Amino acid sequence: MPRVEFRGISKRYGRNEVLRDLSVVLEGGVFNVVLGPPGCGKSLLLRLMTGIEPADQGSVVVDGHDVSDLSPGERNIGYVPQSFALYPHYRVFDNIAYPLVLAGASKSGAEPAVRRIAEMLRIDGLLDKRPDQLSGGEKQRVAIARGLVKDTKLFVLDDPLTGLDFKLRERLFDDLREMRETLGATFVYTTSDPLESLILADQVHVLTSGRIIESGRVHDVYRAPRHLHSMQLLCFPRANVLDGRLVRSNGSATCRTELFEVPVSLQSDELASGDAGRSVKVCIRAEDLVVGGTARDGSVRFPVAVVLAEDLGGELVVHLDAGDTRLITALRHDRDVDLDGTDMTAQVEPEAVIVFDAESNQRLGQGRGGRHG
Amino acid sequence: MAELEVRQIRKDFGSFTAVKDVSVRFDSARVTCLLGPSGCGKTTLMRMIAGLETPTSGDVLFDGAPVTSLSPSARDIGMVFQYPVVYQGLTVRQNVELPLRATRGLPPSERARRVADALEILDLTGVADNDVSRLTHALKQKVAVARAIARQPHIILLDEPVTNIDATTKSQLKHALRRLTRELHQTIVYVTHDQTEAMTLADEILLMNDGEIVQRGSPREVYNHPAHRFGGWFLGNPGMNFVPHEVSRNGGDGEIRRPLFAQTMSIEGHDGRTEVIVGVRPEHLTVGTDASADGVRARIKHAAIVTGGQQLLALDVDGVGMKAKVSAGSRYRVGDLVLLSCRYDDVSFFDADGAKLSITLKQRTARG
Repeated sequence: MPRVEFRGISKRYGRNEVLRDLSVVLEGGVFNVVLGPPGCGKSLLLRLMTGIEPADQGSVVVDGHDVSDLSPGERNIGYVPQSFALYPHYRVFDNIAYPLVLAGASKSGAEPAVRRIAEMLRIDGLLDKRPDQLSGGEKQRVAIARGLVKDTKLFVLDDPLTGLDFKLRERLFDDLREMRETLGATFVYTTSDPLESLILADQVHVLTSGRIIESGRVHDVYRAPRHLHSMQLLCFPRANVLDGRLVRSNGSATCRTELFEVPVSLQSDELASGDAGRSVKVCIRAEDLVVGGTARDGSVRFPVAVVLAEDLGGELVVHLDAGDTRLITALRHDRDVDLDGTDMTAQVEPEAVIVFDAESNQRLGQGRGGRHG
Repeated sequence: MAELEVRQIRKDFGSFTAVKDVSVRFDSARVTCLLGPSGCGKTTLMRMIAGLETPTSGDVLFDGAPVTSLSPSARDIGMVFQYPVVYQGLTVRQNVELPLRATRGLPPSERARRVADALEILDLTGVADNDVSRLTHALKQKVAVARAIARQPHIILLDEPVTNIDATTKSQLKHALRRLTRELHQTIVYVTHDQTEAMTLADEILLMNDGEIVQRGSPREVYNHPAHRFGGWFLGNPGMNFVPHEVSRNGGDGEIRRPLFAQTMSIEGHDGRTEVIVGVRPEHLTVGTDASADGVRARIKHAAIVTGGQQLLALDVDGVGMKAKVSAGSRYRVGDLVLLSCRYDDVSFFDADGAKLSITLKQRTARG
């Protein structure tokens, strides 16, 4: 399965350098998700890959072959663009067949491929309709089918579910994963949505400030992010971030925030003793912040007030005020918690406190439990 | 206060019927959410209540009196839309006050009092003299709500007013709605497609689909006990699992077992059906690995981290696909064999058309 490498890619528009010396390897035969905030250059990365746009510097390498100078047609990549337009006068069949016809296939020659992909996306009953007879979700499926109809093993999908309501997306999550497996292809998919990334991705690549800041298996990046932005982009509900200072206290590193103090195990012992301290970002996932319940030994505790409990059905997302800081916790609905109090205590296990450098945003370490020396 | 009722109300757009002869009474002193997917008819229903849309047939009644032929302005309603409507160039206070100036016979002191109240309820007192055009989207929306309530209409209609709005504003709006219903007993109708918004803000949910009201009840009632397969699917992320079960006969009783139950279960109320559909929410399925536990064997096909670190598992149970959502910190992997079980109270039954069946489920007791 095609493996795609971006090597030292830069691209600017006027004074705006969108991608800066970006390098990443997209594994073959898996679902790759490029996750980044809106406007970070995700779509551009895909356009560089398909050859619709050239890079200023760097190269795109597919299975060891530099394809940077090949035309889009020669690269043979299936493409689902972000803003799709179906041809209003064409039947659904002809809309889906279009990329094949464009590549020289006859209509009858295209038919088996069109029927197969339409069946997989459950729109085979719509092939004779025109776009204006379709619902929003059906149109989206047609656009996806058009992108996936090509006989190739490399597909790029540019945030194709954006704007769809959650129920339609839910169904397409399953379909897209299944399609990738059935086609046995490499998928490269962009989104800014944490849940979409978590559900779809095998591999996630986090894009901010023009670079891929972290790549890895999505579970690993979720559980042990190496970069502040990975944690912020991949958590739903959003991760809690506090300003803090990392200081030496009695020979061991300690992190102080306005709410609590916690001993920290550093990944590398680069914090020299006598260091006046450095600014850090202190992160706690919503699920690691526990409100109510009995106090646990060794947990970090501080007072909070409940602002709003949002009911997601299966979960509650609770917004809390702790001093001047707004925090979020998530809990399953089966946990019996009284959330009406204003004087409540939040607690977190020390190990769930993750510390990032405030300047480089790189992970420095995490809280340390117990009563160590 | 006013009681709001629609009777046999219908709206056709050409050959498409957006609202199909709906009759419903909205209680005063309550926040009622019209919840449903786009195209379900909720907005059309609200627009007919407001007078912005003329029904094809049927009536809108305020306190028992038909208002169907009255213009929107002649109806005693306040409206708030998804995009805040504010008068640029005026202060927050002036915005809220403006409609009151047009209210005849309202003494200035009363007018000032109502404006002050509305600003206070929405926590806008501190920005009362700010130019409204400089405010954030969320603050503008609060101004729009304050203006709608200052007139003290008996009915307030809100069309997705907190979409894309921060938690603080949502919370303030929630408290404001609560105060309005408790103190002024206003009737509040709130339209949204967002289940979280409805579940969070509503006293009561009217779930709509295809121009009809599918279910009415408190948020948890509608969530836990869907009256139709539609509600099981629409609410929840993801929605319910629906698993057909063959009913076998044992004397006069019905029995079901696979794929969901490890043991034969007796059912009552299936009315001789040969198949029932069992509905169970992903978060109500218990997944375990303890071989001594009761449960059906399932293989994990996909495992994803989802909301709040939970794991969403796609499972293969005797060739049937199901989903389970298990608590944060679970570390199941693709290929793992697990045991799947659920509490009998968490199971719903539906017929082939999706209508809820009142079936009771119990473990079969040995006879004789």
